[in-house]
Amino acid sequence: MMITMIVIALALGALAVLYGAVRRRHQSSLPLRPVDVQALRTLMDRDDELFLREKLPHSRFRRLKRQRILVTMSYVSRISSNSSVVMRLGEAARLNSDDPQVAQAAGQVIELATQIRLQCMVAFAKLAAEFAVPSLQLTPAMLVPRYQTLRENVLRLGALELQGAAPVAVAI
Amino acid sequence: MSLKHLIYGGWIVGTGLQLALVSILVARRMWRQFPIFTTYSLLCLLQSAIGFSIQGFPQLYLYAYCTFETMSCLLGLGVIYEVFTKLLSAYPALEKLAFRAFQWTIAILLAVSATVVYFHAPVEGNKFVSLYVVLEQATRIAEVGLLVFLFSFSRIFGLHWRQSIFGIALGLGFFATVELIGITMRAAFGIAATPVFNLARALSFDCSLLLWMGYILMPERAASAEIPKRAQLEQWNQAIMELINQ
Repeated sequence: MMITMIVIALALGALAVLYGAVRRRHQSSLPLRPVDVQALRTLMDRDDELFLREKLPHSRFRRLKRQRILVTMSYVSRISSNSSVVMRLGEAARLNSDDPQVAQAAGQVIELATQIRLQCMVAFAKLAAEFAVPSLQLTPAMLVPRYQTLRENVLRLGALELQGAAPVAVAI
Repeated sequence: MSLKHLIYGGWIVGTGLQLALVSILVARRMWRQFPIFTTYSLLCLLQSAIGFSIQGFPQLYLYAYCTFETMSCLLGLGVIYEVFTKLLSAYPALEKLAFRAFQWTIAILLAVSATVVYFHAPVEGNKFVSLYVVLEQATRIAEVGLLVFLFSFSRIFGLHWRQSIFGIALGLGFFATVELIGITMRAAFGIAATPVFNLARALSFDCSLLLWMGYILMPERAASAEIPKRAQLEQWNQAIMELINQ
């Protein structure tokens, strides 16, 4: 009877996952969320962190670092969400355009956005570890330049006259 | 109206819907894009037609049912793989990770299914039926688990499902989950639960057929994004800079 209960509970959980997927699919379009790359760079600057560590008392440094981590997490969350939107736009561009140049640029954008999405997941894990133990220094430095490259690639897609890509590049 | 009539009703409606689905798949030449799903749909139609014509011969019906169910369970797993590869085809950067995660999920689900088979309480009915019920339950666990993995993976990585692929996965997921609940109830409560199981099965399959047809026929939604206003962007950046410089 125990197995029966577990299997039925898991099946009901599966139905909830399916329901969630349908709800998300029928929601209106995803919003792009602005990211200030310069501010994020400052937040992730290791020299800056070293300076704070030397100058501030340990307890104050820990509190400040946790605050910085929370802000960084919100940035990473925005980058992750924007990457997803860009992936979707890139896929639409690839499907709807007959121009091989557009298809190639869209493919590159999708590839880059996917990599960024992956890096965001790793960044989240590292930031969570740093939040738990503020003396750790694991935050990846690669995310910011990659995101910058994504912006440039989306802009290039816009230059290839893809409708909607240029404002997206400005907005992210 | 008795439960038996309801089951027959569901069966007849289901056969009609299956015929419609197969016609749509053929008319749209979708076997090129989804060969396993098309085969699965054809097999289901064949199963319904043959099952309906031999229902007066219980022994023959039982063996035919088990044979077709086994084939459709295996093809169902094939359909999931087809959906998985189609979903990932647009994201080559994720392929390696996704295939590794898929393999791990299969390994975990096999272990879970084997545990369920090993610890299962005896099922009411003859040996063949009880063995079959337990094996089908184990296969459905794998099927539902893989679909949950697919939906969760796509949610985590923000992957976009194309309309038809989403519809196929959703319909199969709904049917397999209801079937899993049904077969688990059948195993736990014995033959007395069979009519309710059959009705739930027929109705859930009809719903899945409607989902498949709906998503295949519905036009693809254009991707769009809400772009924030420039002033909003500057305001937000200002707030963050103040926080950083605190």
